[in-house]
Amino acid sequence: MKRLIIFLIVIMMITGMTFITGCKKEAAVEEVTEEAPVEEEAAEEEEAVVEKITVTYWHTMGDAEEVALNKVIEIFEEQYPNIKIEPTRMAYDDFKPALLTGIAGGVVPDTARLDIIWVPELAEMGALVALDEEMEGFDEIIASTYPGPTSTNFWKGHYYGLPQNTNTQILVWNKQMFEEAGLSGPPETIDEFVEDAAVLSNPDEEIYGYAMGGTYFWAPASIFYAMGGEVTDSGITTATGYINGEKSVAAYQVLVDMYRDGSLSPLLLGGGGIGGFEGLATGKYAMIIEGPWAQPILNSDYPDFEVNFALVPRGPDVTTSSVVGGENVVIFEGSQNKDEAMVWAKFLLSEESQLTMGETGAIPTLSTVQGNERLPEYYDVFMEQLKTAKARVPHPKWAEMDNAINNAYQYMLRDEKTVKQALDDAAEEINGLIIEE
Amino acid sequence: MLIIKEERMFRIIAYILLICGVVITLIPFIYMISASFKSQIYTFEYPPRLIPRDPTLENYIKVLGKDLFGRNFLNSLFVATATTISTIFISSLMAYAFSRMRFPGKEVFFYILLLGMMIPPVMLIIPQFVIAKNLHLLDSLWGLIVVYVSITLSMQTFLLRSFFETIPRELEEAVLVDGGTRWVIFRKIILPLSKPGLAVVAIFTFLYAWDEFPWAHVAIKEASRRTLPVAIALFQSQYLTRWGLLFAATTVASIPVIIVFVIFQRYFIQGLITSGLK
Amino acid sequence: MEVKNKILDKSFLKKILSSKGAYLLLLPGMGLFFTFILFPLIYSLRMSFYKWNIVDNAASKFVGFSNYVRVINDPIFIRAALNTIVYALITVPGQILFALIVAILVDQKIKGRTFFRVAYYIPVISSWVIVTFLFEYLFGSQAGLVNFILKDILHLVDNKIVWLANPILVMIPLNLLGIWKGVGWSAIIILAALQNIPPDLYEAAVIDGVGIWHKITKITLPLLRPTLVFLVVVLTIGGFNVYISGLLMTKGGNPLNLSHFILTLMYKKTFTYLDFGYGSAISYLLAAFIFMVSVIQIKLLRRKVEY
Repeated sequence: MKRLIIFLIVIMMITGMTFITGCKKEAAVEEVTEEAPVEEEAAEEEEAVVEKITVTYWHTMGDAEEVALNKVIEIFEEQYPNIKIEPTRMAYDDFKPALLTGIAGGVVPDTARLDIIWVPELAEMGALVALDEEMEGFDEIIASTYPGPTSTNFWKGHYYGLPQNTNTQILVWNKQMFEEAGLSGPPETIDEFVEDAAVLSNPDEEIYGYAMGGTYFWAPASIFYAMGGEVTDSGITTATGYINGEKSVAAYQVLVDMYRDGSLSPLLLGGGGIGGFEGLATGKYAMIIEGPWAQPILNSDYPDFEVNFALVPRGPDVTTSSVVGGENVVIFEGSQNKDEAMVWAKFLLSEESQLTMGETGAIPTLSTVQGNERLPEYYDVFMEQLKTAKARVPHPKWAEMDNAINNAYQYMLRDEKTVKQALDDAAEEINGLIIEE
Repeated sequence: MLIIKEERMFRIIAYILLICGVVITLIPFIYMISASFKSQIYTFEYPPRLIPRDPTLENYIKVLGKDLFGRNFLNSLFVATATTISTIFISSLMAYAFSRMRFPGKEVFFYILLLGMMIPPVMLIIPQFVIAKNLHLLDSLWGLIVVYVSITLSMQTFLLRSFFETIPRELEEAVLVDGGTRWVIFRKIILPLSKPGLAVVAIFTFLYAWDEFPWAHVAIKEASRRTLPVAIALFQSQYLTRWGLLFAATTVASIPVIIVFVIFQRYFIQGLITSGLK
Repeated sequence: MEVKNKILDKSFLKKILSSKGAYLLLLPGMGLFFTFILFPLIYSLRMSFYKWNIVDNAASKFVGFSNYVRVINDPIFIRAALNTIVYALITVPGQILFALIVAILVDQKIKGRTFFRVAYYIPVISSWVIVTFLFEYLFGSQAGLVNFILKDILHLVDNKIVWLANPILVMIPLNLLGIWKGVGWSAIIILAALQNIPPDLYEAAVIDGVGIWHKITKITLPLLRPTLVFLVVVLTIGGFNVYISGLLMTKGGNPLNLSHFILTLMYKKTFTYLDFGYGSAISYLLAAFIFMVSVIQIKLLRRKVEY
């Protein structure tokens, strides 16, 4: 019995040590973190002159972009020697849960680069700082950024972020396949697009004129907007007459007909199979609609393939359009270093930063750098498209709206509802989501 | 004679079945290893080839050369080992109490512990994070260990308890009669006879701690303190997954777990009880 | 009456005091458990009664049971529950059956035991992310091995089956994956348990002149009973908790939210739609259900083992 007790005490000591070492390690960490604000501030005051302020920055950049980011950080730290930037790369698929967990636990980064879609919902939650109010010189900055990307930061009267980089999707076409089919160039109107796709397809050999990666809204969005489709009115008050309006219906009708005719690859229904890039580069797909990342990806994986871009074909009203994507940089309400964070955020919108990041495939949002020779040539087509590209609905419930539209498309493709029916139902659902506010 | 023949036949059938089973079991894995030697273009070729057309080591070189991969590997090794040792200690104590002792509230405690096994871990991440933060366990490998042990404790205790239950109590009664203490029983009877059970706990705990991702991703942000699964997840970026690298990294990551298994499965030795009886 | 109560109290106290050894043994483990499992559980329960605000917890709106009511009335949840239950019903017996076969076979005196043990263990150690992707690839419509075999080799089908896009067919690779991945795990446990069966019993059987089949059914299986009970309970729990494979393969219940599992739905509601209270409610319903099922299983299947 005695021995047992001694043994147990030893075990408890070991377990206890675990806790203590954990604590000690935390206290010993020099960097300023969110966990013990009072202690930190005291330490800061004592060493204010010598100690640097660290600004944390979470992102999901790929390898190439990360290299560019480090260059930007170097330049920044030279200019602002009292601020140290601590970037943390997060896994893309798990970024949102990690972010939310952090917010729930009160451990937030000072800044982060987020998908534009998340800004309204995080703003609604109260997690983000309203930059138009807090940031000096905010208005000057957004005067030189593209309006589309900037608008994705707007919610309930305030701006909650700065557009860091943007992108849009345009036509990427396989020149060889076009030439072999006797076509002179990429389609310029939607009608030509449909025709060309039909000509280029050979379903028996699993060759398709056009392929999309899925039925989620982002995939058909370019064609949707090009044909004049809309999801809601600009004030986001209703979807009736918009998502199920004439032009939207026409757009989806085209996309359903192409599938039925065998010119749209069944890839979009899921089920695995040859992805967009592989298909394009190996002669299975003649056209895909993708973003600027297409160039570096195709170049590295299929070095022999000639990458050709073109604007999204024009809809019947002679409009061209596409969908806006990209990332915004935001500052969190829980940050202890808001002033320094703002300095960093502003720097990300400087010409130097925009150009350095731009070299790796992140299209700048600063209109003043358009045409700069440091930027890759293929950006020109994208930036041209950006002039007319539309942002998706900046609303906290966008994810659910996307889901509704996604389902609608599925019903259409599976022939369970007509295009009009499916979109009517989607409109109802979206209206329900808007009202919940 | 009949018996021997029958046994032989059985063994031959057993062999054939096992080999078929192994093939089915290993096909996905073999494919993954094969793909780790392919460059990106060939990952999705059709018809699918098991033997790479142009085998290359580039994936492995890139993976092993990636800064911090080695560091992340060691972090995982440390965390998994420490978690395993701690878990074996703590859960064997608890399992013994549940199996051999009577005390008020035994059933209650047991069912509460069982509850821990039924909870979907993903449900608890947010509150666990809040608690871990308040205890200063974030961004520290020791913090990971503490949380991992807590999470896997239910399962391992339950497992060990089942094993302890299969050890006949006559052995212990004999010791008690001879005037031995519970401690002696624990050390000289229960532990040695539970070697297979303890080996199982070791294998599974190591595996759990080695492979765990959601908590590790959320709890540790500092790149040099990250564990392997998080590092590997970073091979997938938003627009592209570098399958070759991912597979190569996964193959490399599988090695320690397999080693742990090979080491501990030795303890699946028959006849421990009978030798104990003697 | 008073005296009787007093006596009862005294002996109860005595019991607790004399069990201090047991409590000491439980202390470290329970301490950890209470901190990191029980408290979070209660926290989560609390969340489920609110429209929870993670930024400012105090601002959360109390909604009573309405989250739970919404969950139960949601057809998507019902479908998810159905998928999950079917998954458990298929994968649990599947895993145990194959694990029994494998463990018994591997336990025989054959060459290469270690190799076989390692081989069957490999699926267990693989990460869910990787194996899900591998199964997605195997069942892929255009370049998958399964279709290749079915169509081009066995000529059983004319067209490639689109497994993953069909809400019912997608369950096949998911269930197969569940069984495939779990067999090794159960096999190890059974294998370890097999070691505790005294060989004398088998020897006695041989002397009695019985065959292998008899050996297995009359000796091995009954003695494995506690282990098998353990496996049924644990695997059922695991089955209901199916999650990552579903999340990745169905990409969030696609198509049309018909291929959700309970936990993938919970994930979507919590992390994509940011409805934390709702997500908590789903988890709690699941946990409660699992608890009930497990208790029933334990009570029904438990019996002492006789030598």
